[in-house]
Amino acid sequence: MNNHLPWKSACLTAVLALGVSAGALADSHSADLDHLADEVLAGGCAGCHGTDGALSGLVPAIAGRPAEELEALLLQYKNGEGNPTVMDRIAGGFTDEELTRLAEFFANR
Amino acid sequence: MSNDKKNLGAVSRRSLIKGLGAASVLPMVSACGTMTGRGSADARVVVIGGGFGGATAAKYLKRGNPNLDVTLVEPAEVFYTCPFSNLYLGGIREMNEIAHNYDELKDVYGVQVIHQLAQDVDPVAHTVTLGDGTTLIYDKLVMSPGIDFRWNEIEGYDQAAPQYAPHAWQAGEQTRLLRRQLEGMDDGGVFVLVAPDNPFRCPPGPYERASMVAHYFSQHKPNSKVLILDAKDNFSKQGLFTAGWNEFYGNRIEWVGLSGDGRVMRVDAVRREVETEFGTLHQADVLNVVPPQKAGMIAERAGVTDDSGWVPVNPATFAATMADDIYVVGDATIAAPMPKSGFSASSQGKVAAAAIIAEVAGETPPPAYFTNTCYSLIAPDYGISVAAIYKTDSSGEVEVTSSGLSPAEADRSTRALEAQYARGWYEAIAQDTWGTRY
Repeated sequence: MNNHLPWKSACLTAVLALGVSAGALADSHSADLDHLADEVLAGGCAGCHGTDGALSGLVPAIAGRPAEELEALLLQYKNGEGNPTVMDRIAGGFTDEELTRLAEFFANR
Repeated sequence: MSNDKKNLGAVSRRSLIKGLGAASVLPMVSACGTMTGRGSADARVVVIGGGFGGATAAKYLKRGNPNLDVTLVEPAEVFYTCPFSNLYLGGIREMNEIAHNYDELKDVYGVQVIHQLAQDVDPVAHTVTLGDGTTLIYDKLVMSPGIDFRWNEIEGYDQAAPQYAPHAWQAGEQTRLLRRQLEGMDDGGVFVLVAPDNPFRCPPGPYERASMVAHYFSQHKPNSKVLILDAKDNFSKQGLFTAGWNEFYGNRIEWVGLSGDGRVMRVDAVRREVETEFGTLHQADVLNVVPPQKAGMIAERAGVTDDSGWVPVNPATFAATMADDIYVVGDATIAAPMPKSGFSASSQGKVAAAAIIAEVAGETPPPAYFTNTCYSLIAPDYGISVAAIYKTDSSGEVEVTSSGLSPAEADRSTRALEAQYARGWYEAIAQDTWGTRY
């Protein structure tokens, strides 16, 4: 992920200040915190596209499609183009930057 | 029990933080207890309720941090969803098509599932007591307790009444009973649906139910009628429903709102008779009462409900405002403008899971985003929807960044596409929540 999150590094510093070594830190939990913010941003998409956007059913899968293609589609829907049914109302809720993050997230699934 | 493991080896980073933190809320006694139970896990998380909110939270907790010890407490081995239970009443879906189990959560994600009723929560001791007497210790507790009914708020609609006049607002036997009653009704009968005032589970639900029952009548009992007696003057997707009813069912569906004397004050469930505010008596052949509601019982037991009967939460994390380390998601919460829907619950479950993962790691939860899309079927190939995106900023306020209904003017192919997407939504959210594949 290309977006480095300030809330993460700040807290890591706080933890280190408590005297826990970086090694113990790595051993003691398995949370993938780098992806957490994007997981939350993309969380709602799974409601119609399945976990990770990977369900190929009555609603098209979005996982693994090129980021450029997904981004172009999302921007199109946001502008109410392309017979979107519900996707204009979904895409319209995100900034262009958030749509770019969503496109990259699902392209990498 | 899962908490019988005796791995005392590693002192987790979190315990160190707890120990070092001067203002730690969790007493050391409890920290030692959980350390014993936790083994080498980062934290013990108990999830109460295996519906959309709870099952999703359990899955996304383990996805986000496999080293969490996650225990899901849900009495039912087979969970029936309220979404699409109206399609069963309409005769276009069967109960096994709205049934879900916990195999994927157990086998793929490593969630421990206990089929017991959670009977009590001690928010100070951080314990959950189950129906069989087992006590679970938690570091973090997620509750997705759904709704309970306010018995007798409508006079006569007590706990015995649903066997005669079903609510069918918790899916399962009640749903089956209502369909049997509809099937047993003579043609020419009246189905009376008593709809509650806000807030309640699934705002468009009563009106989709009226649509599906009218569809069933149109196929099997063409002289029968649907009468909705409503305790409010406006309802979800009202314009779209009304237009669809006119198109498909004509005067087969009649809706009476609050100002038209639609509010039901008294019910005689055995006689299937209801009385409204101004004394009008209605005789039903099948009577369906959707009673006033409140948060599920366990939320009350945990002491996280306020005077309204619902659970106030911090919308950035869905942490309950009235207890530490308890997160409540789904219909039980005060989450407006998000509606009480399965999709909202799922979305909230993911946000709560992420918040817990971050907090266990000693970090700040990421910004919260929520989605809700509610489809309703007016006829098998005629769907409508409402959709919205919500964000929570760091001040904890919910912002609606997009919201809208299906267009009022749309051709049949658009409605058919939305009906298909309604089925696609169900397929996807069932996969995302329980791993169910049809």
